[in-house]
Amino acid sequence: MSEFKILEIKKNIFEDNNHQADLLRKDLEESNTFLLNLMSSPGSGKTTTLMRTIEELQDDFKIGVMEADIDSAVDANTISKTKAKVIQIHTGGMCHLDADMTRQGIESLGVDNLDLVVLENVGNLVCPAEFDTGSVKNAMILSVPEGDDKPLKYPLMFSICDVLLINKIDVIKYFDFDLEACKKHVKKLNPNIKIIPISSQTGEGMDEWCNWLSDEAKRWTNKN
Amino acid sequence: MHEITILVQLVKLVEKEAKVNEIAEKIDTIVVQVGQLSSIIPKYLIEYYPNVTDGTPLQGSKLEVEIILANGLCHHCDKVFHIVKHKGKCPICGAKDWEMLSGQEFILKEIKIRENTQ
Repeated sequence: MSEFKILEIKKNIFEDNNHQADLLRKDLEESNTFLLNLMSSPGSGKTTTLMRTIEELQDDFKIGVMEADIDSAVDANTISKTKAKVIQIHTGGMCHLDADMTRQGIESLGVDNLDLVVLENVGNLVCPAEFDTGSVKNAMILSVPEGDDKPLKYPLMFSICDVLLINKIDVIKYFDFDLEACKKHVKKLNPNIKIIPISSQTGEGMDEWCNWLSDEAKRWTNKN
Repeated sequence: MHEITILVQLVKLVEKEAKVNEIAEKIDTIVVQVGQLSSIIPKYLIEYYPNVTDGTPLQGSKLEVEIILANGLCHHCDKVFHIVKHKGKCPICGAKDWEMLSGQEFILKEIKIRENTQ
């Protein structure tokens, strides 16, 4: 005969990852490295936006990029045309990066001589939102063709980001995209989020975005 | 779509707890609580559980899922209401201005352990 004993745990399942993320942030603070976690759907323009951002900021910061994908090195090859130091991370089928994988990426990139590192997360609006990577700030890109209803469909992603870039704003007239409605949905989920409409093609809004990123990175690395 | 990676995270946490409490050999059932608005689908958690736990100390154990209802606190009339049932609108005053009190959880509630008796 056997009977049961109940061991009460009551712990958030993401707790271990959250703890690892906090440890990574602490290490990044000590090494004066700012880490941005950049998230979006596939095809929203993460890599193009990143190329432009690197061009704007490469004289002020020593930039590193970690490209995370399930497979391929397409994005890393594109970024390697800039002055940024780049590595490709393969998640091996996983649809997001967790704090452990981010730490491995940081260690293989080597951040001793870098002060601004961007993690280009796997293109996905669900799983990356659930896993704290250890980044200092979270940014996401929503592109106009995806539709203004995405904040309603993927609320968690919009809730955890510090900044939202609404990309491809140059083609808004061809799409049924209500910018004000979109902003309203997002602000309801996350009143503190900064929203910047941009076009990584025409450069519209890129100054405001780069200024935001530059200010945040300088504050973190005590570089004024 | 993301239930497998979430299960991997659950297994990690249970393995840690099992080690601390020295119960690895005796795990019968894992009980988790999932918020109604957590975007985690209980059906898939249960379906993939045997695959994810294969080869771990949890192999052969069962998974039970409890649902935590999505409740909101209305900012206008201070009433607590069921967000999903009332489609995000306070049933008392009709306001859409509320804060979420529950519904986004993913919690390891308890581990049921077999205790052999004579």
